[in-house]
Amino acid sequence: MAAAATMVSSAGGLLAMLNENHPALKLHALSNLNSFVDYFWPEISTSVPIIESLYEDEEFDQRQLAALLVSKVFYYLGELNDSLSYALGAGPLFDVSEDSDYVHTILAKAIDEYASLKTKAAETKVESTKVDSRLEAIVERMLDKCIVDGKNQQAIGMAIECRRLDKLEEAVIKSDNIHATINYCIDVSHSFVNRREYRREVLRLLVKVYQQLPSPDYLSICQRLMFLDEPEGVAIILEKLLRSEVEDDALLAFQIAFDLVENEHQAFLLRVRDRLPSPKPQLSATAQSGSNQPDSAQSGSAVPLQDVQMTDDTQESSSSLNLDQHDEVYAERLAKIRGILSGETSIQLTMQFLYSHNKSDLLILKTIKQSVEVRNSVCHSATIYANAIMHAGTTVDTFLRENLDWLSRATNWAKFSATAGLGVIHRGHLQQGRSLMAPYLPQGGGGGGSPYSEGGALYALGLIHANHGEGIKQFLRDSLRTTNVEVIQHGACLGLGLAALGTADDDIFEDIKNVLYTDSAVAGEAAGISLGLLMVGTASEKASELLAYAHETQHEKIIRGLALGIALTVYGREEEADTLIEQMTRDQDPILRYGGMYALALAYRGTSNNKAIRQLLHFAVSDVSDDVRRTAVLALGFVLYSDPEQTPRIVSLLSESYNPHVRYGAALAVGISCAGTGLSEAISLLEPLMSDVVDFVRQGALIAMAMVMVQTSEASDSRVGTFRRQLEKIIVDKHEDTMSKMGAILASGILDAGGRNVTIKLLSKSKHDKITAVVGLAVFSQFWYWYPLIYFVSLAFSPTAFIGLNHNLKAPKFEFLSHAKPSLFEYPKPTTVPTTTTSVKLPTAVLSTSARAKARASKKEAEKASGAEPSAVLGSGKGKAVDKDGGDAMQVDSTAEKKAEPEPCFEILTNPARVIPAQEKIIKFLEESRYIPVKSAPSGFVLLKDLRPHEPEQLSLTDAPSSTTSNAGGSSAGQPGSASAMAVDDEPAPPQPFEYTS
Amino acid sequence: MDSKITEVSQMFDRFQASFMRKDYDTCDRLLSQLKVLLTEFKSLPPLFQETPNNIRELTLARHIYEYAVILSVKIEDQDAFERDFFQLKPYYTDARRLPPSAEEYPILGLNLLRLLVQNRIAEFHTELELLPPNALENPCIKHAVELEQSFMEGAYNCVLSARQTVPHETYVYFMDLLAKTVRDEIAGCSEKTYDSLSIKDARQMLLFSSDQELSEYIKEERTEWEIKNGFVFFQRSKESTPCKEIPSLQLINQTLSYARELERIV
Repeated sequence: MAAAATMVSSAGGLLAMLNENHPALKLHALSNLNSFVDYFWPEISTSVPIIESLYEDEEFDQRQLAALLVSKVFYYLGELNDSLSYALGAGPLFDVSEDSDYVHTILAKAIDEYASLKTKAAETKVESTKVDSRLEAIVERMLDKCIVDGKNQQAIGMAIECRRLDKLEEAVIKSDNIHATINYCIDVSHSFVNRREYRREVLRLLVKVYQQLPSPDYLSICQRLMFLDEPEGVAIILEKLLRSEVEDDALLAFQIAFDLVENEHQAFLLRVRDRLPSPKPQLSATAQSGSNQPDSAQSGSAVPLQDVQMTDDTQESSSSLNLDQHDEVYAERLAKIRGILSGETSIQLTMQFLYSHNKSDLLILKTIKQSVEVRNSVCHSATIYANAIMHAGTTVDTFLRENLDWLSRATNWAKFSATAGLGVIHRGHLQQGRSLMAPYLPQGGGGGGSPYSEGGALYALGLIHANHGEGIKQFLRDSLRTTNVEVIQHGACLGLGLAALGTADDDIFEDIKNVLYTDSAVAGEAAGISLGLLMVGTASEKASELLAYAHETQHEKIIRGLALGIALTVYGREEEADTLIEQMTRDQDPILRYGGMYALALAYRGTSNNKAIRQLLHFAVSDVSDDVRRTAVLALGFVLYSDPEQTPRIVSLLSESYNPHVRYGAALAVGISCAGTGLSEAISLLEPLMSDVVDFVRQGALIAMAMVMVQTSEASDSRVGTFRRQLEKIIVDKHEDTMSKMGAILASGILDAGGRNVTIKLLSKSKHDKITAVVGLAVFSQFWYWYPLIYFVSLAFSPTAFIGLNHNLKAPKFEFLSHAKPSLFEYPKPTTVPTTTTSVKLPTAVLSTSARAKARASKKEAEKASGAEPSAVLGSGKGKAVDKDGGDAMQVDSTAEKKAEPEPCFEILTNPARVIPAQEKIIKFLEESRYIPVKSAPSGFVLLKDLRPHEPEQLSLTDAPSSTTSNAGGSSAGQPGSASAMAVDDEPAPPQPFEYTS
Repeated sequence: MDSKITEVSQMFDRFQASFMRKDYDTCDRLLSQLKVLLTEFKSLPPLFQETPNNIRELTLARHIYEYAVILSVKIEDQDAFERDFFQLKPYYTDARRLPPSAEEYPILGLNLLRLLVQNRIAEFHTELELLPPNALENPCIKHAVELEQSFMEGAYNCVLSARQTVPHETYVYFMDLLAKTVRDEIAGCSEKTYDSLSIKDARQMLLFSSDQELSEYIKEERTEWEIKNGFVFFQRSKESTPCKEIPSLQLINQTLSYARELERIV
């Protein structure tokens, strides 16, 4: 354009015109300046006072134009506050729809300003802070514009931030795709709304909107209701679905129940379950007896089985019955959903999955066992821990069985943990837990068993029944009351705490408190933790009672236990916990400050709350006690786990600290928050720490690395392979410190946890925090002081499986697609035999460098072999129970033949299948399949809708429970001898008892 | 549009007529109206839109503003001069398509002179830099440049004698003002240099022709001076503040706290 060709080179003329007397000239100058301000703001900025005076001149009728001009100049000068205040003065001349940087910036500023004002007003609960009405007008104009333009996400974000729930509702209702919008809304409210109270308000609003919809998304509503802690709402929805004529609605109800269970909110689930109305008195009686465990401890293990059995029976009979019998159907469904809500169904299915897909590599354990020195009790128990973790939930205790002699070297507390390890291995074995542990449990008549194994057995029972302790609570309480031995008390307290997690049962509280007040260091420590577990997330008044006792007692152990316990009580309470946190972090006693760090971590778990992070960082660099500093850094991991990418960045400086405790904390923080992600930054941060000069930092880094890398395959990150080899090297190396050796052994365990079928997950799929998992990791991080607490890590394990279920809650044969190279997600190769044989043959020379060289060489060979092998294994289910050696030989044989064959780019998985988190993105359901999922989730429990209900079904997962259960039901006393007969069955058999010979 | 131009040119004719008659009040009033009328032309700065009559309009507008500048000199209004000059300037700098105006250099020179008078040396040089090199040859510009040089050298005599060689009649007004600027400069220097001066010396120094003028000047402009016993005492406010003390304590404290913080970090 010609205008552009002859641009004025200076605004001097226009500025001079401002000084003219005639208002028309001033106006002319102003409007021209306004259009040229983008180019001439440096010149205009010197004349701002003149323009300002024009704005302040009441007589001048173009004051708003002057204000707009000044605002723009201030914007260019970077004085956003002034710019905003003048923009407000410009009134309607400030056009929110203008597409310029200036308008965008000032709008953002205005919204920020408005949001912060509104937030302040809401937080102080005082209406004194009057919001500038002009500001409000601008924000409203913007909101309306967004809503009209269909920019709903923007509108929602702004409305939430500005606490304009009215606008939020409007935006949601007016959007085209309400479900998507609401989901977006929920994401936003979880990730960006810091105040818990406010988040609840938002969610309550969303539930309200949901319920108004013609086709409500019950899955989401129930999730929201759970967050709001409103069991009635969930119960009503479930009942409605269950009573429906349509089979699909029942499936949906089951799906809802499974999804709720995944969040591990035991207390809430129990309340939902109890609120589900019974159909008819007589039917309800049977249903009640099925799901509600009677208090009698004797039948505790047998009754849940009847439940399953009964469902089966009713199922069979109902098919022959007339469908009109509405109540009949309802009762049957009700029984099922109660089973699900109590968590038993999912636990049982999970256990079956873990057992059938167990891929743990016993050779690794064998190597470890042979490499550690016999007299080194730390490494010896570490091996036992590693074994337990490796087989967590799989019920496979072959290793222990094969090495009874070796195991018997565990004495005293080592024996305690060896026994407790059984609890981890049999985790979730709700039905037979007690019979399994029977040989070690304290005998009523004052048996001659070692108190250590008895205590360990009680702890094991707790681990088995963690968060689902209905049936075992009473027994544990009795055991606690009848003993005076502090070791047994210790075990019983831990067990009880685990079993009654978060139930806030007053009677149990009193029992444990009595133990606490005996002022015995060993029992008191466990009692402190146990009280915390019991009262998790209740923010109860009792915390102050505990705090008072912590000040009173002389025993550091008790104080520490209490400190953690108190921290647990404020779990997830966010700002409600601030008073208590303040009290603890200001305490004279470093142990209580240390508890304060945990309180911060747990109260603000997964919120990425800036205030909490700031406080923790402050303590991490300024506290005088190393313990507090270490914990403060570690606690960052808990605060940030919902946003794992952040953690490595935040702690990266701390990981280079001169203080080894801070480095250790940084390692674990990364381990906790990035657990199971295989995040590259996290690995890069931990790598240098693994060769730290201080032994315990190496230990922490190894454990953290294992937590990060769990289930990451070598194909997706080559560093996993390197890490595995490094672990082996550390374990074999004679000159390595005990501490890092122990770390390496534990790391091997965690890396292959749960038969390589579990990962560590702190968030459920619906982005809720998994309370058990978080609590588990928090207590686990205490192993610094008390090794047996290592077992708490098993609470954080969650199986990575897709388990599809039909309406009978059985797993039918169902295939789906994983759209990637199979090698990307396959199990790690089993370690090769030669490696171990060399170490067996040369037990004395094993640790020398030559052996290492050999090991390396053979490793290389193995690598070569595995690298060349295209691994065209189709269907993970196929290699279910392949004999290790045979399988290995076969693989080597087939190498040559398969070399030419390219690797397929997809894989068909068969229900139930291992689907690791990284794989979830690429899971696809086949279209022509017989079943379609009710909810298209790539993992977890998914109800499948049968499109051809009349054809006979083929079940893929074991449907043995009925036979087993009847068996076990018959021998409720748990005669272990009878169990061996069932070893052929798929259902895991209860193991033979083995006695310690010490 | 044509009608507007005609209207403006007619009014401008009337303006010129009254300018000739030296009826400056009428001129001022007409000028104001002219300026308002000019804002309606799109072809004028800062828009420079292409219109059929743009050359004519631009020329006319430039002419009006040139007159406005000269008028401001006539009525001895420096603010108006500045204002009008700035509005005129785009016509010289940006509207290069116009045939150069005869008045361009005299007016630029006037502006330089004004800056010199107001002792705004920095702006003087900025303006000078913006001129093309050959412009320096122009007597009007050259005059101003030479004046500035003498002014800087302290050759105040040359400055005052230059009044006789003005290249344009409008310059006289500023030359008169310049004499005063020079005097202020000398006064400022002498009060720094001397504690006191005899009245005679002071009179010579400040280029006054009589003692009377000197005492009037002192009374009006330099109230802090004193005439006593045939001497002028420069009571310069001797609050020459002593060298500021080094804030050593504060610095030490700061450094220590940095060290402490550093130790804490990491």
